[in-house]
Amino acid sequence: MDCIQTEMTLYEKLQILSDAAKYDVACTSSGVDRRGDGNGMGNCSRAGICHSFSADGRCISLLKILFTNECIYDCKYCVNRSSNDVVRTSFTPDDICTLTMEFYRRNYIEGLFLSSGILKSPDYTMELLYVTLYKLRHVYNFQGYIHVKAIPGADTRLIRLTGFLADRMSVNVELPTAEGLRRLAPHKSRKNILTPMRFVQDGMRQNREEITLYRNAPRFVPAGQSTQMIIGATQDTDYHILSTAEALYKKFDLKRVFYSAFVPVNRDSVFPAVSHDGPPLLREHRLYQADWLLRFYHFEAAELLDEKNPNFNIFLDPKCCWALKHLELFPVEINRAEYRMLLRVPGIGCKSASRIVKARRMGNLQFDDLRKIGVVLKRALYFITCSGKMMCPTKIEEDYITRNLLNTKERIPEGAGSLNYRQLTLFDDMDPEKARLTFQ
Amino acid sequence: MKQVYICHDTVTGIYSALYDAWKESRNREAGIELRGKTQQQLFCEYRIVEECEKKVPAVQRMIKRYMGYNTYWDFYLAILSDDNEKGDAVFRTMQEARRIADSTRIMDHLGCPAVAKVFELSRRVSNEAHIYKEVIRFRELENGVLFSEISPRTKILACIAEHFADRFPLENWMIYDKTHKAFLAHRAGAECRLICGEELNKESASRISANQKEYEELWKAFFESIAVKERENPKLQRTHLPKRYRREMTEFS
Repeated sequence: MDCIQTEMTLYEKLQILSDAAKYDVACTSSGVDRRGDGNGMGNCSRAGICHSFSADGRCISLLKILFTNECIYDCKYCVNRSSNDVVRTSFTPDDICTLTMEFYRRNYIEGLFLSSGILKSPDYTMELLYVTLYKLRHVYNFQGYIHVKAIPGADTRLIRLTGFLADRMSVNVELPTAEGLRRLAPHKSRKNILTPMRFVQDGMRQNREEITLYRNAPRFVPAGQSTQMIIGATQDTDYHILSTAEALYKKFDLKRVFYSAFVPVNRDSVFPAVSHDGPPLLREHRLYQADWLLRFYHFEAAELLDEKNPNFNIFLDPKCCWALKHLELFPVEINRAEYRMLLRVPGIGCKSASRIVKARRMGNLQFDDLRKIGVVLKRALYFITCSGKMMCPTKIEEDYITRNLLNTKERIPEGAGSLNYRQLTLFDDMDPEKARLTFQ
Repeated sequence: MKQVYICHDTVTGIYSALYDAWKESRNREAGIELRGKTQQQLFCEYRIVEECEKKVPAVQRMIKRYMGYNTYWDFYLAILSDDNEKGDAVFRTMQEARRIADSTRIMDHLGCPAVAKVFELSRRVSNEAHIYKEVIRFRELENGVLFSEISPRTKILACIAEHFADRFPLENWMIYDKTHKAFLAHRAGAECRLICGEELNKESASRISANQKEYEELWKAFFESIAVKERENPKLQRTHLPKRYRREMTEFS
């Protein structure tokens, strides 16, 4: 149908441009603590604040929108690729400012997440984003959280200026390998993506020095940068993905790498056969678990996966899998093992590990204490001893433990000492001998 | 005989009871109960506490001095909770603190049931306060005031005041706690005020400004379109956002 497009209402624009932005995963408002200066609106808290949860269970913290869904690129996985016939529209900087301010003052959101399709050229788009942020910060006096995309290929001066207005910046690497990128996003290149990432990293490093010298120096991307990868659009294995993530953390000081299960929005022959169970959510979940192991548990990608086992187990989480492959290190003595080793025990997290280290200074820990500390005993019991004793007789055998972890629905096996009570009913077989056993 | 002090369920009330109890019976068994929620027991002597504002800072000062600021804060939060034994728990924690070498570390002694109770209550209140920082929704009234109604289980208004005052310093806003009939009111450029015992004027609270409806619609549209249909997961949504909070949220109404 040919018709001249009339000016769209704000309502229609918001619908289109938030719908187009929803495949971006990052919606965190964390990483920066800032009090309001009393002359505007807004503050930030380090832990971040989620304001709502959408029907897919993901948090809504920021007003996540595109500046425009017009795009000169033709990436195969994207709804807004230039060869798709979809309604195109753009916000004006003022649209975005009023929306952000009005939503923010009703406490709907924690700030703005601004991404964009490439309108005309990367420079032109980046400039529009900069103008919007400038208005929001200096005309509307907004002091809440802003997450903005750095457009690959844009002039570094523009990125620098924008970085002083935003809290977090991100450039999406999109796909774990350069090969995949070439195939699915012919207009983007690895180099183009990594250049702004490196630039932001250097900027942050330089800014840290400035801040130590001059306390009131302007902050450059204070909440760090993040990136995102699409999972399942190419044949890349989990090992590839995780190694890429690890390299990004190590070489680019990223705060977060996000994984996004591929949702096929376009039909295209380049994608692997799409299964009918929907997006690979479990795979995404396993990758996030492994990502946590990299960032907080001192694991390395090569420990979790290798060329021979390039994918995660669907039944067991990565930490359990690792422990089962390294049974020679277990069981670990809770009262003596060092912190790093405690972190590697399934069922013990960062908090429990540090609580254990603190609490065992006071005296020997027993299994009952571990439960109070917050250790997940149903998983940990196969891998730990307290004062040389295991919680219940188990075999240190891969098959045996795997079976137990899976079969009992992760419950503590019966007879595991005093921690296991059973509700008596009138109709229980009241054999006194048996009853005594249960209550032991 | 055990002495039981009876006071109102207010911050002033409980601190006054603590004042009296500490003054007279810190060396023996005593209890603090809330008026209207007492359970008569044998071998107890009941007394109604004379509540006054002067007793509050005196007790607070003592807690801060001997047990440290963090403990003071834990006590304060516990007193805001909805538990009937909160006064008792705080009093017994104070008694316990005298028995240990370093009273400032009393909150680490979770082995003591009273301390564990105070810890749990304090956590409950601060968790609820955090949730309400997230889910409070303001609506703009005709006169430009941002207004919100909430129904929390504990008295969290005092805990969220600073957050919102810092966030909206130039706005007139007001939060009404339906459960406890209390207001938190903030005038542009001024301090927050906590007002108890006033009734809400429903009529003026329902007169919303001209474009309030529009922004509600915009927000609802955003809320709808941001969800990825292929990933729909109501159970996960419910874990993160229990249904009782949704009653007062714009996007679910």
